[in-house]
Amino acid sequence: MNFNDKVPIYYQIKQYIYGEIIGENLKAGQKLPAIRQLAVTLTVNVNTIQRALSELISEGVLVTQRGKGNFVTTDVQLLVALKKRVVTAQFSELYDKLITLKISPPEMVQYLQDYIDQRKEA
Amino acid sequence: MTDILNIQHLNYKLNLVSILADVNLTVPAGSIVGLLGANGAGKTTLMRLISGVAHDHHNTITVADQTSAAQRKQLVSFSHQLDGANNHARLSQIVHDYQVLYPDFAAAQFQELVAFLELDLHKRLQQLSKGNRKKFIIALTLARQVPLYLLDEPFDGIDGMSRKKIIASILQWKTDDATILISDHHVDDIANLLDSVAVIKDKHVVATAQAETIREEYGQSIEDYYEAIYEGGKQND
Repeated sequence: MNFNDKVPIYYQIKQYIYGEIIGENLKAGQKLPAIRQLAVTLTVNVNTIQRALSELISEGVLVTQRGKGNFVTTDVQLLVALKKRVVTAQFSELYDKLITLKISPPEMVQYLQDYIDQRKEA
Repeated sequence: MTDILNIQHLNYKLNLVSILADVNLTVPAGSIVGLLGANGAGKTTLMRLISGVAHDHHNTITVADQTSAAQRKQLVSFSHQLDGANNHARLSQIVHDYQVLYPDFAAAQFQELVAFLELDLHKRLQQLSKGNRKKFIIALTLARQVPLYLLDEPFDGIDGMSRKKIIASILQWKTDDATILISDHHVDDIANLLDSVAVIKDKHVVATAQAETIREEYGQSIEDYYEAIYEGGKQND
């Protein structure tokens, strides 16, 4: 995995796991790989993985079962809220960029609609 | 967290030339610390002193509460560059010598590392490519069961694939309470592995910082941080 070297790695790992969950590569209730395995796969320090997972656990996105490992929550409401939060963050970034280009919100909607139509045709 | 390594006011001279001056460094157990500095800054000398190969006459280095060089040798696995080894020797012979020298050498773990790094122990030392030589050194170093590992420039001059293999083997075989001090002058290689960095420059450890703090609070990459220290110093000199 390629990390942005100016952004905390634990934060990027959290985003990566959010993505895996929302994209359903990790399904509700599914077990995560062991911490060391994640460290080797993502080529980061075990302590960094540990920090990312601890935050995901305190957010309720992951649930620890003693002696068994970490699992994606089965709390559907929480997963829906997570998806909304992650998608909103993407739009927030785009919105801020477009505002600096002096694109009005109605124009944004139009641009987005045009773009989607264009992608569908391609 | 307890500190596995504690250095207070270390001074070191060789032939009356000061190599390290008033070096202070503490390293918590279980962490991976990058020792960064230009060539000739004193990284290797510092590692030699910590490992007990070079002598610190003032007992300013403590590893797991031990200050004597003889005790520290038992607690530290230092990546020797095999400079003194016979180039005609087969790797298996060098491994055997290592095993005799270090009772903490874990043969089973060494075999796992050898398999993972795809080393052929029937070969002679002189037959190894630079990358395979580095892999062999890593396997020997990590096979010892000690609290502190010192890896001196493990990626110097090797290709990307060998580098990845070595990094993976460090992550795979480092136990949770083991501590690794890893020196490099090319930070990018190891930035994601590190818990913290210590920058050595002009005989001193001039800065230490948590890797994630550098990114989170300064918005810098480890490399930016390191370069800023080196460039900033030039203006002040």
